[in-house]
Amino acid sequence: MKQKLRSSVQIILLFALTAVGLTGQSYPGKPKIIRCRSLEKETFSCWWKPGSDGGLPTNYTLFYSKDSEEKIYECPDYGMSGPNSCYFDKNHTNPWTTYNITVMAMNEIGSNSSDPQYVDVTSIVQPDAPVNLSLETKTSASTTYLLAKWSPPPLADVTSNSHVYRYELRLKPEEKEEWETVSVGVQTQYKVNRLQAGVKYVVQVRCVLDIGEWSEWSSERHIHIPNGESPPEKPTIIKCRSPEKETFTCWWKPGSDGGHPTNYTLLYSKEGEERVYECPDYKTAGPNSCYFDKKHTSFWTIYNITVKATNEIGSNVSDPLYVDVTYIVQTDPPVNVTLELKKTVNRKPYLVLTWSPPPLADVRSGWLTLDYELRLKPEEAEEWETIFVGQQTHYKMFSLNPGKKYIVQIHCKPDHHGSWSEWSLEKYIQIPTDFRIKDMVVWIIVGVLSSLICLVMSWTMVLKGYRMIAFILPPVPGPKIKGIDTHLLETGKSEELLSALGCHGFPPTSDCEELLIEYLEVEDSEDQQLMPSHDNGHPSKNAKMIAKETDSDSGRGSCDSPSLLSEKCRESRAILSTLQTQDIRDVQENNGRRHWETQCIASEQKILLFNNESTKSPIWPAAQLPDNQPPMFAYHSTVDVHKITLCTIDVNIAPVLVENEEQHQPQYPITETVHDNMEKHREVENLYSKTDQTTVQVKQNRPNDKSPFSKPKLMDYVEVHKVRQDEVAAVLLKHKENSGKIEKYTVPGTSKEYTKVSTVVDHNILVLMPDSRIQHIPVSQEPAMEMSQNLQQGQTEKNMSYCLTVPSECKRETSASEYMDPSSFIPAFK
Amino acid sequence: MTGRSPPCRAHPRPEKHFPPRDNELGKSARKCHTSGMLTPNRKEYAQKIPREELTHLILKLLQAWKEPLSHFNQHIEHHQELPDDSLSKAKQISKELPDDSLSKAKQISNMVHELKTGVEKVTEKMQSMGIISNSLNGMASSEAAGLSISNEANMMSDSDFIHCFRRDSNKVQSYLKILKCRIMPENSC
Repeated sequence: MKQKLRSSVQIILLFALTAVGLTGQSYPGKPKIIRCRSLEKETFSCWWKPGSDGGLPTNYTLFYSKDSEEKIYECPDYGMSGPNSCYFDKNHTNPWTTYNITVMAMNEIGSNSSDPQYVDVTSIVQPDAPVNLSLETKTSASTTYLLAKWSPPPLADVTSNSHVYRYELRLKPEEKEEWETVSVGVQTQYKVNRLQAGVKYVVQVRCVLDIGEWSEWSSERHIHIPNGESPPEKPTIIKCRSPEKETFTCWWKPGSDGGHPTNYTLLYSKEGEERVYECPDYKTAGPNSCYFDKKHTSFWTIYNITVKATNEIGSNVSDPLYVDVTYIVQTDPPVNVTLELKKTVNRKPYLVLTWSPPPLADVRSGWLTLDYELRLKPEEAEEWETIFVGQQTHYKMFSLNPGKKYIVQIHCKPDHHGSWSEWSLEKYIQIPTDFRIKDMVVWIIVGVLSSLICLVMSWTMVLKGYRMIAFILPPVPGPKIKGIDTHLLETGKSEELLSALGCHGFPPTSDCEELLIEYLEVEDSEDQQLMPSHDNGHPSKNAKMIAKETDSDSGRGSCDSPSLLSEKCRESRAILSTLQTQDIRDVQENNGRRHWETQCIASEQKILLFNNESTKSPIWPAAQLPDNQPPMFAYHSTVDVHKITLCTIDVNIAPVLVENEEQHQPQYPITETVHDNMEKHREVENLYSKTDQTTVQVKQNRPNDKSPFSKPKLMDYVEVHKVRQDEVAAVLLKHKENSGKIEKYTVPGTSKEYTKVSTVVDHNILVLMPDSRIQHIPVSQEPAMEMSQNLQQGQTEKNMSYCLTVPSECKRETSASEYMDPSSFIPAFK
Repeated sequence: MTGRSPPCRAHPRPEKHFPPRDNELGKSARKCHTSGMLTPNRKEYAQKIPREELTHLILKLLQAWKEPLSHFNQHIEHHQELPDDSLSKAKQISKELPDDSLSKAKQISNMVHELKTGVEKVTEKMQSMGIISNSLNGMASSEAAGLSISNEANMMSDSDFIHCFRRDSNKVQSYLKILKCRIMPENSC
């Protein structure tokens, strides 16, 4: 039984082995870790050697664990260090850890693991060998020493330069076997002194980090130590140049002479020829040079040039240089560089540069063609501005800054092959400043004038500041508030006044005087027939006018006065004209207001006087003027200082009036309008204008320097005569602002007011008489109402006719007339 | 005489497109297909040679390069179409050329052709004006001569080709300039 069992087991084993032997495939062989190595302590790699692969493709996996931990990791990077390797980068490398590394080979059938390898990073450090080892012999003071230089090994992961290597150098003569090792330290070069002359040495170097092993030795370098008896060192040819494309020169640099006087010879051969020539001229171009003259220079041919150094011991030949003269042309810089400043039509300066080609270059024959380039910069600037000019030998430059000094240089180059020449000598040019005396004079004058103007302005501002302001910016007339009782204002009972107005607790402003400005515009469009004609006799005109006036309704009483006046004017035209001129002159003189006033009044008085002489009825209160003069004056004397009574004339009509005078038109004395900051009054005189256009405007201005509530304001009265060809209009309107009373023309005073119409004469003349009811305001009736409304309108040169102050008797003569009766407003406010 | 300056300015500049490397000048095997032509290689010779001969030479040179240039273009085109096969030797030679060689080469061919046409026209004009004689039977002979030479150009390598072309184009340029200044000295000479 046992035997049977044993034999069956053997048979099975045999089968298995046979099966294995037949197919040839099995699990892989055991891999073996060859070595692990770190280059710099921060990374390391491990290499293994595979075992047999069992005939099937085999995968290799590297597993590792750290210290005594259980966890097993796999290799992070398989290909980095080559096949069958594993690279552990910085993140996976810990110098103080012991790694337990195994490699497992696996194929379809089975797997096999290597023996574990215990790796301590610090113990496997070995850098690469140093690189770039160079050797040089230097002779000084009859001793020759060897200078060796190298570089540290390169690191793939060049992250830190903190690796400090220590180096070792070893050398030996070529034939010997024993090395002489020298410890160098951390330097990357070393001088070797004790050398045998005339011997060839071989040198190597290696390095080590602070821990770990020495690197391998670097590759060998050989050097021959020259001694007193040696052939010269190999010379080198520096360059060959042709200055004008007809000749050329070559220069060389000799090597060490080996201790004996050395001869140098230059040998050349041409392309396609075998024959070797020697340099034709060693002298012309200086030491260590060879000059080829025209005869020896061929183009589009390659020269093979070598230099041979010979001394007693031996000789040495330089490396050959192949030269085609066509391509080595480098000329001298251009000459005769001239800079010239010219001016354009606009007197702007521009620079004209001219130069000549270098003297040797034969540009005339076309054999050599040069391109030029210039550069310039302001003297203190850092960078040059380079401009390619081409083949021309002149250049114009426009964009230069006046007042600066420029440096200019030019160089040239053969147009297709060759090198740029040196820059020519620096040329300086100073651009003149664009300074025109004319401009400066203009600016000086402007400056002086403006400063003068400023002085004058400031001086006048200082002296008459307020007046100037009022002059430049005349006060804007404000609205008149009707119904204000000036007496209330006088007494200072502002509450009552305000209550009268309907506002409570409103403090008045200081410039309320502007509120009481009235404008009366009178125009009479109906009675045109009364317009005096130019050539008709005055009497007829007057008659017409008078007739018109009589035809017109009441309210023409005042209209009469103009007619009267016109009569008188005709008669007394001369006087009027004189008055007029006087007035004008006075106004022009623009002296004291009172002066004007007086003049106006005087003129008015005179006129009225004249009128009185001829009038049929003393319409005008002016008839009483002589009596009333004192009051008038008194009136005026009571006028506030600030007030100005001005006889105003519509400026437009002024010249007309003058003309009228000439044309025997009845005219009224004209007073010019005077605009004054302080003006309070304006009176517009009646104007007798020409036939064609007569618009008479009556304006009433209120004295504006006082609050309407605080002071009684004088009323302006306006007498408007409008004389048209077809119309007659004469309206007198007088108002006392405070009381709204109608005052007579010349008696605007609280004391006397001619506000009551006594009679109507001739159907067109109203006789006014003083009204004792000073404080009362005669209420204007409806027509007045209408007219009052018109009054409130602004100045308009409309045809207006206005009635007399007696509202009840006032009728509108013309439909288009607008009459503003301030008195009419009063009842409205009451 | 008009039309003289364009040939001088429109001259192709191969060294701009194919920068030469000096150490390659030393290749002794270099031999251009036009080397057999006897051309003045010094300024004095170029100034002494009769105008007709100089003109003839210019035309001959230009004609000699017409065929090789087109062949070179095909050559570049052919190699640029090949896949990037590092094993292709011919491709390795062409790798030395910059990427835009094909367009530049075509440009150069056109320029040479135009130059030749221009010189032919100028020659006709000169002959008609009597500045040069017709002794050399004009352009027909130069064409024939040039053509015969150009057949030998097929065996050149790329670098040789470029080197030879650069040299000959410089020759043509210099000869044209000399001719221009001989005939019209006042025109920027």
